[in-house]
Amino acid sequence: MALTTVPSARSVAATANVRARKIVDYVATTVLWVMATSIIVVLAAFIGYMIYLGWSALTPSFIFGMPKEREAGGGVGPEIYNSFYILILTLIFTIPIAISAGVYLQEYARRGKFREIVQFSAESLATVPSIVMGLFGLLVFVYTFHWRYTALGGALTLTLLNLPALLRVTQEALSSVPDTLREASMALGGTKWQTITRVVLPSAIGRLTTGVVLIAGRIYGETAALIFTAGLSVTVNSPYDLNPFHTAETLAVHLWYTHSESSVADVERIGNGSALVLLIMVLIFNVAARVAGRALTKRFTGRAS
Amino acid sequence: MIQSPPVTAEIPLDTATEKLVATDVDVFYGSFQAIKKASLTMRGQHVTALIGPSGCGKTTFLRALNRMHDLTPGARVEGSILLDGEDIYGPDADPVVIRHRIGMVFQRANPFPKTIYENAVYGPRIHGERDKRVLDEIAERALRQAALWDEVKDRLNRSALDLSGGQQQRLCIARAVALNPEVILMDEPASALDPIATSKIEDLIGQLTEQFTVVIVTHSMQQAARISDFTAFFHIGEIVEVGPTNQIFTHPKEKRTEDYITGRFG
Repeated sequence: MALTTVPSARSVAATANVRARKIVDYVATTVLWVMATSIIVVLAAFIGYMIYLGWSALTPSFIFGMPKEREAGGGVGPEIYNSFYILILTLIFTIPIAISAGVYLQEYARRGKFREIVQFSAESLATVPSIVMGLFGLLVFVYTFHWRYTALGGALTLTLLNLPALLRVTQEALSSVPDTLREASMALGGTKWQTITRVVLPSAIGRLTTGVVLIAGRIYGETAALIFTAGLSVTVNSPYDLNPFHTAETLAVHLWYTHSESSVADVERIGNGSALVLLIMVLIFNVAARVAGRALTKRFTGRAS
Repeated sequence: MIQSPPVTAEIPLDTATEKLVATDVDVFYGSFQAIKKASLTMRGQHVTALIGPSGCGKTTFLRALNRMHDLTPGARVEGSILLDGEDIYGPDADPVVIRHRIGMVFQRANPFPKTIYENAVYGPRIHGERDKRVLDEIAERALRQAALWDEVKDRLNRSALDLSGGQQQRLCIARAVALNPEVILMDEPASALDPIATSKIEDLIGQLTEQFTVVIVTHSMQQAARISDFTAFFHIGEIVEVGPTNQIFTHPKEKRTEDYITGRFG
């Protein structure tokens, strides 16, 4: 049976009101796109400029050579090593403390005085400027413990500096794990510890990895906290050893030092080269940490994401 | 409000089948009393349905049965709940053991973000089973009991989160039955599922009573009528009436029960 069509008073075409709203929509989308794109442009320009300046400095003798105090042609081999060494040392201290404290605060502590005090202390610690932290390290590790300038002193100072940030990240990562998962584990007769180690932490591993990557970037770039604790020179006799009590100038510190304090002839070359090497190291670490994080997530959750 | 008669006395019970016996159970959240003097006998290898309007306390009561309130700060349970004659709130009772014997399935499927296999064997693993062959057997048995095996047997190492909602809920049932509990508590297990997935879960519950005692909270009176042997009607924190399901639905003794099941409130 054929149905008849009755013409309606209303139309399906856009009215003036709809057109106006769509223009707002279009403008907003464009503005947001431009803002987002500008971040990429700034970063790309920044990296491009650094590569342009630093590329010629990246010779084997620069990357693997010893630094020089006065004459030109010094390298940054030990500094690259020290940056990496202090990073690892700092992470060895920071990760267990921050994650344990985060687990305690988030999973065990009752909402009360003690929890508030810890939380307040962590937040206060987070606002301490790194130069103040460096002077504190100088006072404690260099003067009081008589360690002189050491990789260990530097790493412990950086631990103090980064602990609050990783603690915060841990708390947020844990609070993002739904309580229904904790309940499921407890309802199967799991203890609190089993629930935390087998369900909560594995579920939070992605966010925790991101947190570690963030603080690692800060550790690579940190100077003020290291100048008075890890020192401004490398160990000349054995620059690549594992002794934590050796002085250990990092790449970022070296960059600052050559530019402001030293009297080498090729300051520009060393500065530009160091900056580029630093950038590449951070990128390599970020990529490696993400690959590792993804592998861990895959292993724990059976899902790549 | 009219004081309900002691309802447990009304069901003729063979003592041998009194699997879980709650007597005068009160549950408090802080100073708020959510459950008042609830008494209910849940018979072995039968389905007991807890029905009632939203906020009537049926979920609160269910969670008292495996001591889930232990996890809620400020929650307190009084009265006695006997599992095979032993008080699960007694001084020697351990929640880990109780929850091993009394499993639970939640309202929303909550599989762990792990593989299907790891979900199925989570319970046995945390209780100390390490033998891979034993775990494999448990996983297959549990997934078969949850009517999920055929759908997932070729992708046990895929993430449980890739399953559909209904499959996830059956996985949660598998995860519970993997421990061979004696009782399975279900908190509206099908409320978030479509009709086909719901009917699969309902069929499954029928099969589970061959081995397990089931206590199920449900919003749906049709569901209670379809799957349960006994029904308890909750209203404002009290058990108003309890009896064989067909009797509750055809000849309720209490006015409030009748009003509820005939749709006059709720």
